[in-house]
Amino acid sequence: MSHTQQSNSGNWLDANGGVFIAGIGLHPYQFPTETPYTELGLTAVRAALADSGLAWDRVQSAHVGTTSIGMAAGRVMLRHLGSTGLAVTQVENASASGSFAFRQACMEVATGMSNVVLAVGVDKHGDGRRAANKDGLERLSETATIPAAKFAMMARTYLRERGASVEEMANAAVKNHGNAARNPFAQFRKPRTLEQVLASPRVVGDLTVQQCCPRGEGAAAVMVVSGNAIRHLGLDARRCVRVKASVAGSERPEMQYGDSAVELVRTSAQAAFDQAGIAPKELDLLELHDAFSVEELLYSEAIGVCEPGEGARYLARGDSQIGGRCAINASGGLIGMGHPLGPTGIGQLAEITRQLRGEADGRQHPNARWGMAHMIGLGSVSVAHVLSASA
Amino acid sequence: MKPLQPTLYELADDGHSLNFFFAQCSACGGLSFPANAPGCMHCGEPLSQATRITRPGGGELLEFVTLHVPLLPGMAAPSIAGDIRIAPGIVEEGVMAVADESALKHGMAVRAVAEVKPEEGVYACRFVPVNEGAAQ
Repeated sequence: MSHTQQSNSGNWLDANGGVFIAGIGLHPYQFPTETPYTELGLTAVRAALADSGLAWDRVQSAHVGTTSIGMAAGRVMLRHLGSTGLAVTQVENASASGSFAFRQACMEVATGMSNVVLAVGVDKHGDGRRAANKDGLERLSETATIPAAKFAMMARTYLRERGASVEEMANAAVKNHGNAARNPFAQFRKPRTLEQVLASPRVVGDLTVQQCCPRGEGAAAVMVVSGNAIRHLGLDARRCVRVKASVAGSERPEMQYGDSAVELVRTSAQAAFDQAGIAPKELDLLELHDAFSVEELLYSEAIGVCEPGEGARYLARGDSQIGGRCAINASGGLIGMGHPLGPTGIGQLAEITRQLRGEADGRQHPNARWGMAHMIGLGSVSVAHVLSASA
Repeated sequence: MKPLQPTLYELADDGHSLNFFFAQCSACGGLSFPANAPGCMHCGEPLSQATRITRPGGGELLEFVTLHVPLLPGMAAPSIAGDIRIAPGIVEEGVMAVADESALKHGMAVRAVAEVKPEEGVYACRFVPVNEGAAQ
C-alpha cells in the first residue's frame, strides 16, 4: 500500500463521532500592507469562533499554518484571545501549510486527543526563501526552483499534446477572476475578459500576469470538532460539515517527462475518493491549486472530474462554472481569491464549508453535497480533503 | 577563468564545450546529478562510494519557454529556459543560448557550452543546438 493510499473500510475520520468543521472565518486576502499578522489572524479566528458558537476557552489545541512570519507565531498571536494554556503547533509546508495544519487538527480530533481544535493559516508577504536553495547543491539554471518556469513548460507541453489553444487555457483565469469578483474575501474583485487576460503582461511562456496568482497576505481559520463535541457542546449540527477524507503524499520519480506533479495530484485525489467512498464525478465542488491557469486544466483531468484530455473542453462547456457539473474554484481560486500561502488551503476549506451549508451568497453552487480541497506545495507535497454536507 | 558552478561542470578539451560531472552509484549503477548529491536519486544509496563520471554536457531538449521578465533579482530578461534530459532519468533546467525560440525544436539534441563572463572571471553553462557552431 502506498503512502497516499487509505483503506475505505475503517475510515479513521469516523472515530470520536466523526470529524467536522463547525466554524469558519477569514480576513480578506490583500496586497501587502503594514497590518500586523496578529491582526489578520485574530480577525479570522474570532470570526470562526463566532460562526461556530464556541468560546475560546473551549479550544484545546491550535495548528497554525504559515510560511513567512517566523518562529512560533501562534502563541504570539493567540495570547490576545486569552492565555488558556492550549497546545500550539506551527506547520510549514509551502502552499499547503494551511491544508496540513488542518490535517493535523483532523488527526488530533479523530484520535480523541482533543475535541475542539483550531486550524488557522496566516501569512504576510515574505522573502520567498526556499529550502531548495539551501540544500548545498548547485543547479545549471538559476530559475530551476522557480515554479513559474516549471508550470510554463508544463503549459506548453499540455497545449501541444492536447491540441488546446492558449485562449482555452486563459479561460480558466477568466472564470476564476469572475468567481473572485463575487467573493468579498478575494484579493482580486474585478471580472476579467479573455481579451484582458491575454493582453496583460507576459510573464513566462504563454502565461500572462492575469493567469498567475497574486501573492499577498491574509488569514483563514476553521474550528475542527468531533461529532461527540457537537452533541456535548450543543453546537448547530446542521451547519457542521463533515470531513470524509484526508490524504497526504509527496512526489515520486516521473514515469514520463513532466508527469510527476500531475501523478501526485492524481494519486492523492484518488486515495481521498477511496477513503470518502465516492467517485470523482460525484463532486459538486472542487478547490484546487491554480497558481497558474494551466494547473486547473491539468488537475481537473488528474482528479477525475473530467476525462483525461478533456480539461479544456470541460471548462469551455461551462461544466466547471458555478452551476455547472462541478464548480471548480468557486472562491476564485489562487488566481482570483489570492495565494497568501499559509491561509490558502484553509481558505479552500472555508469556501467549501460555506458552499455545503448553502451560505455562499452571490456565488452559491446549487445542491452542493460533496466538495474536495486539493493543494500541492513546493517540494512537492500534496494534500487532499473531502467534505460532505450534514445529513 | 573558473566555472560558475564548479561542482557541475568543467571546460572540455576544445576550450568551449562543457563536461558534466555525474556520480555512478555503487549499488544500482545509476547516474546522479550533481555528483555531490547526498544520495542516489534512483535507489537512495549514499554516494560516498560512488564513481565520479565525466561526460560531455548535453542531451535532449524536452521543453522550452521564454522568460519575459526577470523572475529573480538581476536576472537577464528575456531569456529562454529549457528542460533537458542530460542522462537517463535525469532532467535539468538549463539556459538556452539562442536568439529566440525559433532556433529550438522539441526533441532536438543540445550541448553545453561555456559562456564567458569576463567581469566575474567565470564561465557559465549555456545550451545550444548540437549543430550550432559557436556559443552566443
